[in-house]
Amino acid sequence: MLAEKSDTKLALVVDDSAMQCKVLSVLLKEEGYRVFTANDGARGVEMYVKYKPDLVLMDINMPVMDGYEAARKIKGLSQDHSLCPLIFITSMDTDQAFIECIDAGGDGILVRPFSPDVFKAKIKSIQRISDLYAQVKTLQQEQQKDAELAEQLMSGVIEARNFSLDRIGIIKQPAALFSGDIQLTALSPNGDVNVMLGDFTGHGLRSSIGAIPLAETFRAMTKKGFLLFEIINQINHQLYDLLPADLFLAAGFASISSHDASVYAFNAGLPDAYLFSEQGMIKHKISSSHPPLGVLPKLLPDSQLTIYSIEETDRIILISDGIVEVRNEQGEMFDFERFEQAAIQGIITHNVSECVLKAVNDFCQTMPQEDDISLIDIPCGGWEHVLVASQGISNISAQQLDDIYLATDFAWHWQLTLSGKRLASINPIPMAMNQINEIEGHAEHWQSLYSILSELFVNALDHGVLGLNSKLKASAEGFSQYYKERELRLTNLEHGFIDLQISHYPFPNGGRIMIKIHDSGQGFDIKKYYDNRVKKRENKLQLSGRGIELVEQLCDSLDFQEKGKIVEASYVWAS
Amino acid sequence: MNVKKKVSEDKKNIEISIDGRFDFSLHQHFRDAYINCKEKNTVFTIYLLNTTYMDSSALGMILLLKDHAENYSGKVVISKPSEAVNKILEIAQFHRLLSIEL
Repeated sequence: MLAEKSDTKLALVVDDSAMQCKVLSVLLKEEGYRVFTANDGARGVEMYVKYKPDLVLMDINMPVMDGYEAARKIKGLSQDHSLCPLIFITSMDTDQAFIECIDAGGDGILVRPFSPDVFKAKIKSIQRISDLYAQVKTLQQEQQKDAELAEQLMSGVIEARNFSLDRIGIIKQPAALFSGDIQLTALSPNGDVNVMLGDFTGHGLRSSIGAIPLAETFRAMTKKGFLLFEIINQINHQLYDLLPADLFLAAGFASISSHDASVYAFNAGLPDAYLFSEQGMIKHKISSSHPPLGVLPKLLPDSQLTIYSIEETDRIILISDGIVEVRNEQGEMFDFERFEQAAIQGIITHNVSECVLKAVNDFCQTMPQEDDISLIDIPCGGWEHVLVASQGISNISAQQLDDIYLATDFAWHWQLTLSGKRLASINPIPMAMNQINEIEGHAEHWQSLYSILSELFVNALDHGVLGLNSKLKASAEGFSQYYKERELRLTNLEHGFIDLQISHYPFPNGGRIMIKIHDSGQGFDIKKYYDNRVKKRENKLQLSGRGIELVEQLCDSLDFQEKGKIVEASYVWAS
Repeated sequence: MNVKKKVSEDKKNIEISIDGRFDFSLHQHFRDAYINCKEKNTVFTIYLLNTTYMDSSALGMILLLKDHAENYSGKVVISKPSEAVNKILEIAQFHRLLSIEL
């Protein structure tokens, strides 16, 4: 709604001739104005301040303060208000006078003599411009207010809910009020950390409308324990549905799995992402392998995550093109080389975001920023502590423990058997967790249960059904070979099954969940496996076997049966 | 103007060339260059040899043209992208979406 002035409009006439003041006043009154007059420039300025008129008519030659100076003062005062048009009335018909009038801030000039009709026409035209100006100004203020509100809401929904802001370095320097870039971090129930850096087409409000559904999907699916690839698939589908054809999201994803000592990454349309060592050496560049998300209805069939083995001290850095495309006054781009140098410097001095931001700002100096600038810097290690340790049986009395193990009546039992193609494409763990959450309600320590379930399921699938040997993972090269082979065997999977059973035995102030997983694989030599485990621990072989170690820590018992084709785990908690 | 259009005699081939920066400011001109071409099986060639820079909204504009072309059983070809532009196309993996003639 536009605010309309209900009062009659006010005009201020500044002229040292009482006669002139009178003539102009009469004409203005005929046009519906209320008129005030002043006889010199200084008095004119005072009256302007007092009455805030809608129109000023100004003579040039006056005592005390002339028209030019008065006009400058008035225009200086009215900067923040709506345009108050100021017209010079003069008999000096020279180019010089005209130019000076406009320079002093005049919006028009009327040269005497003029007829009453010409005068009125001039007033009308200038008033029309002033009304338009006021209208634009009001609209602009409203839009600014709306935009600020929306921006507040948006950053509340998006940034404020990010995970572990103290350990993940973020640069976010939008080119407009709204950033088209979005940075998300979330913790998966098994302790994996998922991060995303996205860059929507363009910047400003138009480019940030997709951010809310994107953030919701990313968080909700991570929280439920979906794999990164499943999350990317869903985001792509969702954005394709929601956004117009020319609006899409270039995005980089990484999922850091501490206990697996690996990172899963996907780059769809962002510049290379980096895996740096502690010394600032570039271990890998993760190049874009897919068009931006939201362009195609489905991800391309050959798309997959790349997996890298990581050290605790490595860092992953994702950037948007805004950083490398920053230009200096000479028109040069910041480019990758300068970025890498700044990042390396930052890694050595333990402050990547500050170092890079400083380098960018030093480079572009006063040049205006054309695109959003953003970066995420994530440490690869130190995430284990976020896993809520099993509340274990330490705080459960012996009497209670007897009760627990003697309990034979389950409160509920859930079972799912997947076979063949379905086994290759369905992840049953989020479903299982959903059941548990639906029946028993939310609890922080279900994270531990989630870890147990996913580790055991992946073991049954990889080593049981697919028959992959985890020894491959012992070296960094074997590591990627392992995942290639896994992909291949999954694609060709025709037979084979995994049966998953979960039973819940409640007891006062706690409960026990029994997990039983049966796979169609060959099984393994259980005794040899345990012997190897001991040796491995002594030699500190790190790349495999961490998963099962984690499960042992979280469970109160873990049993392999039938040559390892069946595994039974018991998880007990006290509340 | 930075957007130039050439139409072959049989109207089956339309070449749109962009000089200088290819960004959102060309949105209207670029759209005007194809929106009334409703001939079936038209090949739209986007000639980018003299394009110095392309941003993501330009990629979006190309996708809109692609939709338009496909609606009339036609196709879009990107021709001779300059080095700077090709880098951007590569990052966006546009060769997976349409053909690019180097």
